[in-house]
Amino acid sequence: MEPNNKIKITVITIYAASLVAFGFIVDTPYEIAAGLLRILTRPDTLVTDYIGVGGMGAAFVNSGLLTLMFIFILYKLKLNYSGVTIAALFTISGFAFFGKNIVNVWVIVLGVFVYARFQKEKFAKYVYIALFGTALSPLVTEILFSDIWSLSMRIVVSVLIGLAVGFILPPLSTFLLRAHQGFNLYNIGFTAGIIGTMFVSVFKSYGFFPESQMIWSTGNNFTIACYLAVVFISMIVAGFYLDRDSLSKLKNIFEYPGRLIEDFVFLEGIGPTLVNMGLNGIIATTYVIIVRGAINGPTLAGIFTIVGFSAFGKHCRNIIPIFIGVFLGSLTKVWAINDPAILLAALFGTCLAPIAGEFGWIYGVIAGFVHSSVVLNVGILHGGTNLYNNGFSAGLVAAFLVPVINAFRKEEVE
Amino acid sequence: MKHVNKRLCKIVDEVFTYFLNIGANDITVNFKDKDDHYQINLKCNYTSMNKKKLDKLIKYINHPKSEEMEEYYWELAGESDIDTELTLVGMMTDDKTIEVTEDTIEIKLKRYKKS
Repeated sequence: MEPNNKIKITVITIYAASLVAFGFIVDTPYEIAAGLLRILTRPDTLVTDYIGVGGMGAAFVNSGLLTLMFIFILYKLKLNYSGVTIAALFTISGFAFFGKNIVNVWVIVLGVFVYARFQKEKFAKYVYIALFGTALSPLVTEILFSDIWSLSMRIVVSVLIGLAVGFILPPLSTFLLRAHQGFNLYNIGFTAGIIGTMFVSVFKSYGFFPESQMIWSTGNNFTIACYLAVVFISMIVAGFYLDRDSLSKLKNIFEYPGRLIEDFVFLEGIGPTLVNMGLNGIIATTYVIIVRGAINGPTLAGIFTIVGFSAFGKHCRNIIPIFIGVFLGSLTKVWAINDPAILLAALFGTCLAPIAGEFGWIYGVIAGFVHSSVVLNVGILHGGTNLYNNGFSAGLVAAFLVPVINAFRKEEVE
Repeated sequence: MKHVNKRLCKIVDEVFTYFLNIGANDITVNFKDKDDHYQINLKCNYTSMNKKKLDKLIKYINHPKSEEMEEYYWELAGESDIDTELTLVGMMTDDKTIEVTEDTIEIKLKRYKKS
């Protein structure tokens, strides 16, 4: 392990632990235990806001515990923390408010582990695919908590499906990168969308229809915004503390297009990366507040995912055009800017940031504009079983837009 | 490990594309399959290359070997001609040397067969 890896692990662990601590500040242990029980014993298809299901305390504790568990696994695997590590862990933290929990993710992780063993390789090689791949956890719980068969049958089938999903994720996720050439940062979202579509198509052929839902809590903006403000400001302060040159290096970060693979931790160091993460967290939270959206489980997932990928491709210059694209869409299309699906489209749609970074802000606006329509139309394919529905949509948008943009514009490599 | 040959081709493809994009018109690729490793040497001429670009090249290629990143992202190498994936080349190789003269760049890459 490299020497400053300990610093990175410590910083990320503190943020994960702060989620648990905040959970215990806002709710009593009894409320948290009861809330966790509710979260763990129900289907998780889109959109299941864990704050709405189990309360704020339980949702934060679930998020913090799950992140700490994955931090422990990465520690045991002796991995050096890079931009993708931070992106993966914050994605876990975020989606643990909105579909992933301390029980339902493990079967898929086990599936990836079995694949590694099958290939006679170390699990460490596939660990990031395993972390991101937990997006399909609702596929497991949708069967487990349905009423179609006996409990023992449901356990067997849901475990088998989880293992199968984990097993096919590594080859598929690598192969599908070529479709969008790294212009969709949520590549596993694209992969999971394809897998979810295949599985749900087979389910439907046998008369089983996964049910989408809409659990969307409101009224917690002030409390959660206070927590987020402390977290994001502390990231900026920590970033400057760890590297006094963070400001000049932050300017370097703004120059990267952000296309996969642009690892800001390797390229500029952990200090400026933390500043970038804090800055983008503030921008994303401010966006939700300005459009009068709710800060809840799903939007927290969007905000945390932006923060995580601010170590691996996102910065304010390439995400703001996406926000503008979605906003312009709201002026001309039939929905409102703070509708739940559109709020999520703006936050998660920033996975198309590399299009703005590589081709210019106007193409980023177009990408956001197109994405906000496509994302509303693809969820039905996988029946809400892919938590990264926006990643699925963004993969399609990037695969469609990039060749078209290239046809009109071609530049030399930098 | 799967697709060993294709991965080697991707490494060459990525660096070769980069050389073409900086205006090289004389490129040599030398590949050797040795007992315990593969040796890939690529050399090109160049006419104008500012220091910033050169520093970037050296920084990207010198990315430490990273099996977990390679396993997920190797398919991206050599895929795009508008942007580089030179960090992937660094992640996919164990030893790397870059020699720059007034008019040539030579990159020597070693990739061990067993990690």
